[in-house]
Amino acid sequence: MTGIPLHQAAITVSGLAKRYGEVTALADVSLVVETGTVLGVLGHNGAGKTTLIDVLSTRAKPSAGHARVCGFDVVRDGHQVRRRIGVTGQFAGVDDGLSGRDNLVLVARLLGANGHQARARARDLIDVFGLGDAAERPAKTYSGGMRRRLDLAAGLVGSPQVLFLDEPTTGLDPMSRTGLWEMVERLSSNGTTVVLTTQYLEEADRLADHIVVLGLGRVTVSGTPAQLKARLGERTATISFGSELATRRALDALSKLGMPATTSGFVLGVALTGPADLAVLVRTLDSAGAPLKDLTVKEPTLDDVYLSLHRTREVLR
Amino acid sequence: MTAQPTARHRATSRTGYENPALWRAGGFRSQVRVLAARSLRTAFGDRRLVFFGLLQPIVLLLLFSQVFSGVGNLPGVAAYQGYVNFLVPATLVNIAMTTAMSSGAGLLAEVYSGFVGRLRCLPIRLFSVLMARTIADAARLAVQLLVTLVASVAFLGFRPAGGVLGVAAALLLTLVVGWCLSWLFIAIATWLRKAETLQAVSFIVMFPLMFGSSAYMPLDTMPVWMRVVSSVNPVTYAIDATRGLALDRPSGWAIPATLGIAVAAALGGGVMSARNFRRAT
Repeated sequence: MTGIPLHQAAITVSGLAKRYGEVTALADVSLVVETGTVLGVLGHNGAGKTTLIDVLSTRAKPSAGHARVCGFDVVRDGHQVRRRIGVTGQFAGVDDGLSGRDNLVLVARLLGANGHQARARARDLIDVFGLGDAAERPAKTYSGGMRRRLDLAAGLVGSPQVLFLDEPTTGLDPMSRTGLWEMVERLSSNGTTVVLTTQYLEEADRLADHIVVLGLGRVTVSGTPAQLKARLGERTATISFGSELATRRALDALSKLGMPATTSGFVLGVALTGPADLAVLVRTLDSAGAPLKDLTVKEPTLDDVYLSLHRTREVLR
Repeated sequence: MTAQPTARHRATSRTGYENPALWRAGGFRSQVRVLAARSLRTAFGDRRLVFFGLLQPIVLLLLFSQVFSGVGNLPGVAAYQGYVNFLVPATLVNIAMTTAMSSGAGLLAEVYSGFVGRLRCLPIRLFSVLMARTIADAARLAVQLLVTLVASVAFLGFRPAGGVLGVAAALLLTLVVGWCLSWLFIAIATWLRKAETLQAVSFIVMFPLMFGSSAYMPLDTMPVWMRVVSSVNPVTYAIDATRGLALDRPSGWAIPATLGIAVAAALGGGVMSARNFRRAT
């Protein structure tokens, strides 16, 4: 029915390594991306995210291991892989001197479309990506968000089965970011497999069906966004009180409740483990006669995930 | 070919020109054509850049022909009846060299802008990117040479004894030399991969080759060692050949030597750049 038999993974990676001279960009990565799902690849700069995309999009040869995209080996059948993928990079790959429309026409022509077909496809994508007003202007006059949209559109000209997005929202303003997220969601719901690298947990949380965290060229942890946060991230409440008495009362009440807290002066830090905990916390403090002056809640961030990963490694050592 | 049924299946589920499943990948030649057309559009899209670019060699020509006009009285140049006649053919070769140099720089600029990164992800032969660039630059060179020739005849008093045919042959030869040299500079560019280094290397290559030749002064006026260097300098052959054709003068082996060296440079440069400009490393 489709190019890939049903139930075959869109991407399989096993024991993948990539060294550039002395530098090991990927040490040992294995993963599977099911067809039609979104994989979020998280990691700090230098974790190996871009190298992974480079290998999967046939721009870099692995030093060891194997990778298949749509059933084709990225080294042996690079051409077949390139026919089925779209790539959008952190640095938009568009021709600055050409208009947005001509950029899309150019890519379509290189993919084998004739003039008619290329112009029709470009018109479609310009509509979908809301570039109509700017379509005839040279790409060098575009704003950051518009360039990114044009770049994404250029990656989609050939209706790829697998789309690679390398940090697609880095440096974008919140509105452009939300717009890009909506487009990725639409693509994914139409059956496109998406591999997305990002530094933002929020982004992976919203878009990804599955997340892998890369660190030092390895998969340090993988799972669904919910699993990951439950395992690694903590919501924390920071509460400040007006007096020592109130602080002591609060500490007593919390320890009775079994909620561990850290203190620093009149400020308490409490880990929240379930959605109801905040309400419980406030009610408990109120009835304990510890009026709170201020309360802030911090959602788990990628930093927390890293910190907790780091701590785990220390303990294991 | 295993993917063909797929394409056909999807084609039936959608209609219209916009459906990529209906596209049939073109070959190397169509890729070169599309990419070269695009390079030319970019090159001629900026009118101010085109204007000043075309003006540049004419200004240099005007400057040199005035500053060095005394050279026209030297033995060995006097036969040309005016320094301009001596200078213009050399300037054509000079333009070919600078344009070839800009081929390498232009390629690197597109590597940096990320556009080449986009091309690397497409199912095309990467060599078509290089071929398209050299062809587009050769077309640019042809326009540049033509404008310079017309301006020299119209404003500087260039009177080529070879007539229209001789000048056309000189132009063609310069064009071939320029196209061949662009492969050399693309090879250097893909090897160095850094615009600043390329520029430094290009100047070190360009200036001695250009000035250490018969371009501006007759060889007889130079110190002996320089005369030796100049007489083995391939640029001297190219200039002598161009002068021979445009001015209808005997040029000995200069024409076949120029073509031989140029083709060798193109082949060597082509092989080297194809190796340097691979997709996956």
